[in-house]
Amino acid sequence: MVSNSAVRVQGLWKRFGQQVAVAGIDLELPAGKFIGLVGPNGAGKTTTLSMVTGLLRPDQGTVEVVGHDVWRDPVAVKARIGVLPEGLRLFERLSGRELLSYSGRLRGLPGAEVDRRATQLLDVLDLSGAQHKLVVDYSTGMRKKIGLACALLHNPEVLFLDEPFEGVDPVSAQTIRGVLERYTASGATVVFSSHVMELVESLCDWVAVMAAGRIRAHGTLAEVRGQAPSLQRAFLELVGAQGREAGSDLDWLGGGTR
Amino acid sequence: MSTAANTAVNTTSPSAAGGSITPVVVRLKLSLLRGGLRRSGGRRAAYIASAVVALLFAVSQLLGMILLRGHAHIASVTVLGTAVLALGWAVMPLFFPSGDETLDPTRLVMLPLRPQPLVRALLAASLVGIGPLFTVLLLTGCVISVAHGAAAYAVAVLALLLALLVCVALARAVAAANTRLLTSRKGRDLAVLSGLVIAIGAQLVNFGMQRLGSSGLGRLDPVADVVRWVPPASAVGAVDSVSDGSYGVAVAQLALTAAALAALLTMWARTLTRLMTSPDASTLQPADTAARDRSRTGGLTRLLPSGRTGTVMERSLRYVWRDPKTKAAWVTSLAIGLIVPVFNALQGTGSLYFACFAAGMLGIQMYNQFGQDTSAFWMVALTISTPRDAYLELRGRALALLVVTLPYATLVTVVTTALLGDWPRLPEVLGLSFSLLGAMLATGAWTSARFPYSIPQEGHKNVAPGQAGLAWIAIAGGMVSAALLSSPVIALAIWANVSATGDTWSWLLLPAGAAYGAAITYAGLRLAAPRTAARLPEILTSVSKG
Repeated sequence: MVSNSAVRVQGLWKRFGQQVAVAGIDLELPAGKFIGLVGPNGAGKTTTLSMVTGLLRPDQGTVEVVGHDVWRDPVAVKARIGVLPEGLRLFERLSGRELLSYSGRLRGLPGAEVDRRATQLLDVLDLSGAQHKLVVDYSTGMRKKIGLACALLHNPEVLFLDEPFEGVDPVSAQTIRGVLERYTASGATVVFSSHVMELVESLCDWVAVMAAGRIRAHGTLAEVRGQAPSLQRAFLELVGAQGREAGSDLDWLGGGTR
Repeated sequence: MSTAANTAVNTTSPSAAGGSITPVVVRLKLSLLRGGLRRSGGRRAAYIASAVVALLFAVSQLLGMILLRGHAHIASVTVLGTAVLALGWAVMPLFFPSGDETLDPTRLVMLPLRPQPLVRALLAASLVGIGPLFTVLLLTGCVISVAHGAAAYAVAVLALLLALLVCVALARAVAAANTRLLTSRKGRDLAVLSGLVIAIGAQLVNFGMQRLGSSGLGRLDPVADVVRWVPPASAVGAVDSVSDGSYGVAVAQLALTAAALAALLTMWARTLTRLMTSPDASTLQPADTAARDRSRTGGLTRLLPSGRTGTVMERSLRYVWRDPKTKAAWVTSLAIGLIVPVFNALQGTGSLYFACFAAGMLGIQMYNQFGQDTSAFWMVALTISTPRDAYLELRGRALALLVVTLPYATLVTVVTTALLGDWPRLPEVLGLSFSLLGAMLATGAWTSARFPYSIPQEGHKNVAPGQAGLAWIAIAGGMVSAALLSSPVIALAIWANVSATGDTWSWLLLPAGAAYGAAITYAGLRLAAPRTAARLPEILTSVSKG
């Protein structure tokens, strides 16, 4: 149980028919860090996070979260993690407050405590005004925020967020960021996926780069960035997207004749 | 699709260039039709099948109308038929908002188009399709059946054209006026519930036809006298007037139809202009409506047990009311569960045993529980760690169902008994109902865990593509098993009916059926729970396809 890694993944594989989504991942994510899982679209980030959180069964491999096997000891793992998946619905015909209340009570928290935490979370995430609106009528940013509130409600040790900033306006993004920074400062771990390098660079202290179902690099931000001027450059080199100069054929674009 | 789109884009400003955009839009409509059909073979087959059925219906209608030429009340029938047709055109866009993409003017908002040419082009495009063809055939039947003489035939051509244009313009004007509603969430909810409205409407029409059949078509005449002045039925009325020699009346009726067409087109053009020049306000945040439903929430929570059971029940019951798909399924079950026994009893053909329909129909709602959650099931999956959690989850859902079903099934049984006056059999039938309900809950829980499938949230389908077989196994297999499971109680009921002393003991079937139903529900939930807990990722994958 005593371990300074929040997540330990060994030999993780997942195939969908002919296509290999995750091709043998070994990864150890340190506890108490703000961790970014970066990679282009289709790199296998969502598949990996789904398998790590127990929402998708791997073909092979083991996953341990804070020392407990996800598939053999779900009681210990599910109580300790918070998840914000991408591309899955919420119970959208509940209002924001009802959703929090439902989610908290389902996890066995006492009703009064759920209501207290829900009020605070709604307040901090700037959702108090919309708390009685149905989630189906929320904007993308509001959905991400209410999803984050659900994931935080039971005060998990490790938080998994799949593309938490995708489609979110700058104001909501800043709010989410503030909450996450406060949360990691208390010693908890955040693992989030993104393909926006500037964001990862400014938020994370530990990064894993994924491409085509494999981990290409991992370590502290400085280690992964290496000699490159920015994480964006380092990333493009790692996934082999260098030297493809965009737009040399589009000579008619801009200026001159229409 | 791409060729037409390119043409539309390349024609920078047709009105300025002197060309017309009408052919472009008509071609776009044809390309969209083709593109829609190319997407899948099943879609193509469904389209062709529905086209054939619609056209066969229209042709038979046409022939029927021609055969009815000279019937005493034919004028009333044609006039009212045209009015009903126009009504259909008016409500169609409300129920099938996504039916015609060229119809949604907000898609053309970036193109430099003026309202007048746009209205002309869209009107022309609207005349392409099965719907207009169907309408032309029906209208042809209507005008032929009332036209007598060369003058009447000449007017009939004009009347047909006017009536068709009024129908199409009416549909477009209604659709444009409601575009904001139809593209909003409430509009999509409405579309999901529309199937029910149509089913109920069909029942009413059926009822009306039966009344007419018994009392004769003459009853239509007073209504028809008014409707023959209402466009577009007034166009058909004009043909009839010409046949009668009342040329003045005919001119007035035709003028009225033309005026209605002009008014509809003007209205449509105005709405289009407004739609294309004002910003879409649907994503703006409305003013705070806090505390609107706070008291209601508190009330419901207080009545339910605490812990996971109450939480699950509360969510399930809220979804019955708020989720259009769940609501439609429930209303169907409630309606059929009531209609079959009660209507049969009213007509004197009923048996008290039909009252079990209520329990059976509502028991179906226990099937595919997790599919009803859609991919939101992940929230449930993350809180189930043990078979015990899964048991509580399933039991909560079963209890939520029972809160409605038990009183409803009892009520239906009592009402049916009262109608048939067969009070001695009440306990027996109630006992049968309860055991059947228990068997449905048990098999429903088990198939929910074993054969989950996705329910698409949009449209009228209740199974995601490719999962129809799975759904069929779950429902048909489950219902057969439910019947088998309740066979001990059925056997007891048969014995009570055939045995000489059975009548004295038949009341025992009530406690026996209730106890058996409860026991088998418990057993079903117990069996389903470990399966649910062990298959969480597989269930999530199966229910996330919609």
